Amino acid sequence: MSITKSLSGSGDNRKQPNTGRRSFIWKAGAAMSAVVASAATGFSKTGVDRADALKDANAVRTLHRTYESRLNKGMYEEVVGMFANNAEVVFNGGLFKGEKSIRRLYCEFFQAGQTGKKIEPAPGFEPDPEQPQDIVDVAADRKTATGQFPYSMQVGTPMTEDTSLVKMARLQGEGIVKWWEGGTHEVTCVKVGESWKIRRLEYRLVSKADYRPGRTHARAIDIPAFSKVYPADPAGPDKLV
Amino acid sequence: MAKATYPKEHMHRIKFTKLTREQIDRKLAPAAAGPKCMSEFSDVLGGKKLKIVTDSGPTVNYAFKDRNRLTVSVDGKASVESGYGALALERVVFFSHMVPKTQTGYNVFIDLDSNLVTVIEVWFSGYKDLREVQRQIYYGYVEVAAKEAPEERHHLTNRIEGKGFYWKQDTGIETLEFYPSIVSSSFVELTRLGGELTFCSPSDYIQINDHMFIYDRTECEFSGIMTLYVMDLLDARQVGMRLGFNEKDALEYYMFRGNGEILGQLAIFEPFDDHGEKIPLNMPGMDQKGARPVYRPFGDHPPMTAEELEEAVRKNTSIFPGGDAMAGNRMELSDYLVGKEFTVRYDDGPAWNYRFDDLKKLHWREDGETQWHEEVYEAFEPDKELIFFAHMHSGVKPYECVKIVLDFANGLTSCVHSQVGSKYMANEVSYKFIFGTIEMEGLTPPRYLRHTFTDELVGSALTWNYSDTLTSMHVYSTPHSYSWTIFMENGAMGMQWSSPSRYAMIRDGIYLFSWVEEACNGGQGTIIINTKIMHDCGFGFSGTKDGLRLSTMGAYARNAGVYDVKRFFGPE
Repeated sequence: MSITKSLSGSGDNRKQPNTGRRSFIWKAGAAMSAVVASAATGFSKTGVDRADALKDANAVRTLHRTYESRLNKGMYEEVVGMFANNAEVVFNGGLFKGEKSIRRLYCEFFQAGQTGKKIEPAPGFEPDPEQPQDIVDVAADRKTATGQFPYSMQVGTPMTEDTSLVKMARLQGEGIVKWWEGGTHEVTCVKVGESWKIRRLEYRLVSKADYRPGRTHARAIDIPAFSKVYPADPAGPDKLV
Repeated sequence: MAKATYPKEHMHRIKFTKLTREQIDRKLAPAAAGPKCMSEFSDVLGGKKLKIVTDSGPTVNYAFKDRNRLTVSVDGKASVESGYGALALERVVFFSHMVPKTQTGYNVFIDLDSNLVTVIEVWFSGYKDLREVQRQIYYGYVEVAAKEAPEERHHLTNRIEGKGFYWKQDTGIETLEFYPSIVSSSFVELTRLGGELTFCSPSDYIQINDHMFIYDRTECEFSGIMTLYVMDLLDARQVGMRLGFNEKDALEYYMFRGNGEILGQLAIFEPFDDHGEKIPLNMPGMDQKGARPVYRPFGDHPPMTAEELEEAVRKNTSIFPGGDAMAGNRMELSDYLVGKEFTVRYDDGPAWNYRFDDLKKLHWREDGETQWHEEVYEAFEPDKELIFFAHMHSGVKPYECVKIVLDFANGLTSCVHSQVGSKYMANEVSYKFIFGTIEMEGLTPPRYLRHTFTDELVGSALTWNYSDTLTSMHVYSTPHSYSWTIFMENGAMGMQWSSPSRYAMIRDGIYLFSWVEEACNGGQGTIIINTKIMHDCGFGFSGTKDGLRLSTMGAYARNAGVYDVKRFFGPE
């Protein structure tokens, strides 16, 4: 994906979110409200032992925190290890299924763009402080769980030109076009033995902005979704969704 | 007879021998006797014994027999006798020695007031180009009986980032040296190479105190020689050492004293609470012994043959493809030329007729030719009634393009006429500047006045912000070369390289500047610099493995300062 082109061109707007300045608050708020209702009814209907369910819910929260922490530190290989067999990740309009594809997403696409660093929301795109921070719903049999967690991260894609300037910048770990995106992680987890693994993770994007830490302003930007699958795009998904 | 010494080939053209380990062993043997020096060595260490303790490095015991001989024991191993040399500068004594029958040596800077020490271990055969001197820096102290180890240490710094110097060693060697980076430096060899070109080397900058600093550079990609010295900024003096094999593969291992002059100070762009003690590089492997950030363009851009170039061009020719990384902040395209017809006539050069159909299409022909040729062009208007446009000469071999300045206010034109290919590389652009006049209805050009070469920019430094994530700094360090340095994310200056270049004066504060990355990918950049609006516009032209490319560029400038260097150049 050529970001220099995508930032100036119209690109593929397939399933693009509303990238308006206030849309993050509105959409995230609506999504969270729905999840709160679901979680509240979840415990009462299933009759799962409350203590066990809380323990599982906390374990899922810890799993997600670990996921974000590893991404934040650029521990991409370790992130891959957090997924269950045949897991799926949906990111930027692409579905990555199975370990090989998930490794491609994290160890190639994310790593090349230093994507995943946790940064504060772009100015003007802050989530509603009253919305719930995260929601976890543990299934009655305590073998699966779903969760929704707001995310706010830096995304990047390396410049690919063969100029000396770009090569030098890349060599010193830069030459990456970076932006901010925020939304919700929609996660399905599965218990493997005594620990939890991620079975499905979807990045539900709400907003993208031309923000990097230190800036005082930001504007919404339009970055095209994946338009080619692997191997036509060497770091691309298995399927466009 | 010519007084100045110019090399037959400049450093980037020399094919340095790939010395073998055995050759280095043989050539290095005389170094066991210690370095030579034109000045008298110091005997401040004679008769003394020192135990130097370093953090994360060796403990080294020294016994100095006299001013020329020492014994050294590293980490408790058997003592070895070696020649050495020592020079003192104010409160710092610097001594250097190799370890006999090895390719390793030590360079030790002792602050006699604080007992703090910097040890720079050096060795050969540590990189695939075995002649390249490797180095590892250790910080520590001299152990003093019944005294606690000091907590302070010498350390990396950005406190001399941006400085520029003239140095003259006791050897008679004169250089200009610039520090527009915290990991690299650039230098002009006035004596050895005639002072025409600037070269860049990975470097270290270490602070001893507020006015004394240690500096080193290693001429990676070239001879691999290391130059290392401690300097005192208060009176611009240095004592140092040079180690390595020169272009004749002869060993250079000597110490020197030098006097100099501070030529200026560029702005530095780090946050005010960043003093450069940690280099914010995001590069893998930097914790390995000897690791340093080195730009190695020769490996990245091996010279292409004519056949390889032809094949690459056949696969891909990009004329103004858009989306260029160096055009994020480019000027708007200009429609000034649409509908115009005129002739540009260059002194002792070509004359071309032009007819501009629309914003991107033109027709041109040689004056007197009947056939018009259609080309895609792009044009900028960097100043009032000043147009800069470019286009290919399609179908011409070697591949050719022109970048033309049209100064309608003065009836003048300048052209950078370029083709892909030189006597060195099939993919290296060669070019010439030609100056002339515009012939157009209603415009009477001057008879004698022309745009002309200039040294007005020489010494100055401008940052160029191509996009929010790609910024570089140009230092226009000689009349025929410049260096560029890439900003790191925190505003510190990082990787650096240089190339030959030329400068022409178009108007007051407006310059035509062109360079070819000869020691790199052979590509050319040609820009109009407008210092009134601190913005440039221009064109890149290259033939690489990715094909033939003519593209636009544009960046915002900031003034980064100036070095007082013009007086060092020009025919004597």
